[in-house]
Amino acid sequence: MTLAQSGMPAAMGGATLGHYLLVSAILFCLGLIGFLTRRNLIIMFLCTELMFQAAGLALIAFGRFHMSFTGQTFVIFVLTVAAAEAAMALALVVLLFRRRESLDAEAWQDMKG
Amino acid sequence: MGQFIQPFLMFGLCVLGGAGVLLALPRGGRSPQILGALGAGLVLGLALLALGLTAGPDHPSVYFYIFSALGLGAALRVITHPRPVYAALYFVLTVIATGGLFLLLSAEFMAFSLIIVYAGAILITYLFVIMLATQAPEEDEVEALADYDTSAREPIAATVAGFLLLALLTSFFFRGINNVQPGALAPSPTLLAEMPLKIERALESHGLLKTGERVALDDSKHAIITDAGVKISGGASGDRVVAKSDWPNDLEVTNIERVGFNLLRDHPGTIEIAGVILLMAMLGAVVLSRKQVQIDDEAKRLQALKLGDSAGGGT
Repeated sequence: MTLAQSGMPAAMGGATLGHYLLVSAILFCLGLIGFLTRRNLIIMFLCTELMFQAAGLALIAFGRFHMSFTGQTFVIFVLTVAAAEAAMALALVVLLFRRRESLDAEAWQDMKG
Repeated sequence: MGQFIQPFLMFGLCVLGGAGVLLALPRGGRSPQILGALGAGLVLGLALLALGLTAGPDHPSVYFYIFSALGLGAALRVITHPRPVYAALYFVLTVIATGGLFLLLSAEFMAFSLIIVYAGAILITYLFVIMLATQAPEEDEVEALADYDTSAREPIAATVAGFLLLALLTSFFFRGINNVQPGALAPSPTLLAEMPLKIERALESHGLLKTGERVALDDSKHAIITDAGVKISGGASGDRVVAKSDWPNDLEVTNIERVGFNLLRDHPGTIEIAGVILLMAMLGAVVLSRKQVQIDDEAKRLQALKLGDSAGGGT
């Protein structure tokens, strides 16, 4: 069942490239809506992770379609960035929470210029 | 191959899905959330059905539908669930479903590393922080949801923006996605030649290698693979060639080996950069969390005042 043995670009679980791209686009837009609507800082970052997932799915689908493995290599990089982002963002969120005792993004409204 | 999906159908589904998501967003308990979620789910089902009908002779496997429905449904719950812990757990479900889709795309290594890194590490960190940053309820009161979790910010504008983007993104279906040509797999012998030990092990386990025989190596320690087969040397009967038709099945370059070659030979800088990014993130997190915070007393008092006001029982 390895890729090399099947050797067929057309067979992506029976679905075409468009199927995967559609799922990826819907996932990305749900993440975007979540980022815009939620007011909880942690959930906002969770929604950026949703968008990372969508990007990874599109990368791997394209990589499979073009039989290029750079797509998968790039997803490793996306995972790295997501991990780094989670570490930094969560440290910041804890810091902000300790200062205002609230996770509301609008508690920091006075920072806008 | 005709239209992937009808334009009007696609844009109509976008509008309906937007309305469903809009209803599903939390708005302080005034919105029929379940109705909205059901509507959005229904639209999703319709979209998948339409995709299935237009897929032509080779239908997508049932696993594609299961995984994408699970993943998108869970993503909808992530952005609508008023309790952060549940949202994080639903995100785990999305990650697992995406991992399943990766498996269908025969990217096994990425599927499992996604589940290990995301569901195993990143999400646990999120859960820790959610628990750190939530006040425990008092002994005799029911757990109250924070006001900022139960009401969405600008739900209409955000949903319109999101689904407008979706409609724009999906318009590529009507302009030539059918003309994109799939690529061909790079021939495996060139990669296989760099793994003489793998060849040796595979041949040995299938009894194709007599005692004392080894895969012949050229000057750069690569196996010698010609059109006839792989060259073997060192046996009692001298050099010989194992023909390609005799090769066992597991003598193929697997997906993970190709990813490894791609990562370490074609993009060696990636690993270095990733290492530097992770190191910087670690240093940043350590510096940030060591910082002593003076609680902003004035802001806290204001916040308490506001909370008291919104509860209606404050002085």
